[in-house]
Amino acid sequence: MKLNVNGTEHEVDVEDDMPLLWVLRDELGITGVKYGCGIAQCGACTVHVDGVAVRSCQLAAGDLDGDVTTIEGLGTPDALHAVQEAWVEHQVAQCGYCQSGQIMQAASFLDLNSAPTDDQIDQAMSGNLCRCGTYPRIRAAVKSAATKLQRA
Amino acid sequence: MRLLALFIALSLPAASYAQDGAAAWERIFAVVSHPRCTNCHVGESGRPAWDDLGYGAQRLHGMNIVAGESRIGAETIPCRVCHISAEGPNDVPHAAPQIDDAWRLPPAELAWRGKTGAEICTALRDPDLNDGFDMEELVEHVTTSAFVNYGFTPGAGRSPAPGSTEALAQDLALWAAAGAPCPDA
Repeated sequence: MKLNVNGTEHEVDVEDDMPLLWVLRDELGITGVKYGCGIAQCGACTVHVDGVAVRSCQLAAGDLDGDVTTIEGLGTPDALHAVQEAWVEHQVAQCGYCQSGQIMQAASFLDLNSAPTDDQIDQAMSGNLCRCGTYPRIRAAVKSAATKLQRA
Repeated sequence: MRLLALFIALSLPAASYAQDGAAAWERIFAVVSHPRCTNCHVGESGRPAWDDLGYGAQRLHGMNIVAGESRIGAETIPCRVCHISAEGPNDVPHAAPQIDDAWRLPPAELAWRGKTGAEICTALRDPDLNDGFDMEELVEHVTTSAFVNYGFTPGAGRSPAPGSTEALAQDLALWAAAGAPCPDA
């Protein structure tokens, strides 16, 4: 099957029921996306499909319908996405394992809702678990990114 | 005497109809009050439930999920982030169920969780409160809706609603033919 990831076309020979997460990591070597639980309970595998967050452990390759963006394609070192900038500013990461999923979720959320309330931030981000407990910094960074995106 | 015979002839089928209608409603209620249905038919709160999924009898959806006014979570986290629109096998317990339709909550006025049979019944026969369906359309809806079908075939780790789409459609038709009778309480 063919798929577009971060603007690049790829052809992979996989079973239709292989989760997109496996395709990205094991077939294409794109490892910014992480395996956490495999059942959509943790958010570590979050990527975008046509700009909308998706838990890639749940999406079978055969059901993919759209272009995929992973953390590697969200911004570049020279031009970070506003959410990535906010993550640096607030030094959000501790161990870092869940952070690509957190950032992809936050970026998609702010694209849908550019002026979220504090409650909405908590609701949007509650499906992304962080074993280090960086939640206060995640919340602060999402608020910073929202402010920055509103000014842009 | 002839009048009495006529009365009996007319009243017997009517009584039978009423009994059939009431019995059909009881079977319909067993379905619509089942957690596979009520977990999403939650009303204004927009807060889906995880009742009877192994997390306890009364449990709200994890991850602080609120479907909002959009009923698809557009204000915060869309249902589709986890619930893929595809005919998935749903063979992994605790994973996000998938169906071949966009996962969403039903309209707020279709609130069934915690409601009595009388409340659900009177709402279900009222097009203003049942998403605009007349009885014929309601029967058609339950036979074609991926959501209704999912309720009877929810996959691993989830108890199915009792019966089948065919049985539910038949009971709705029976109930409608009897004038859609509702219990008093």
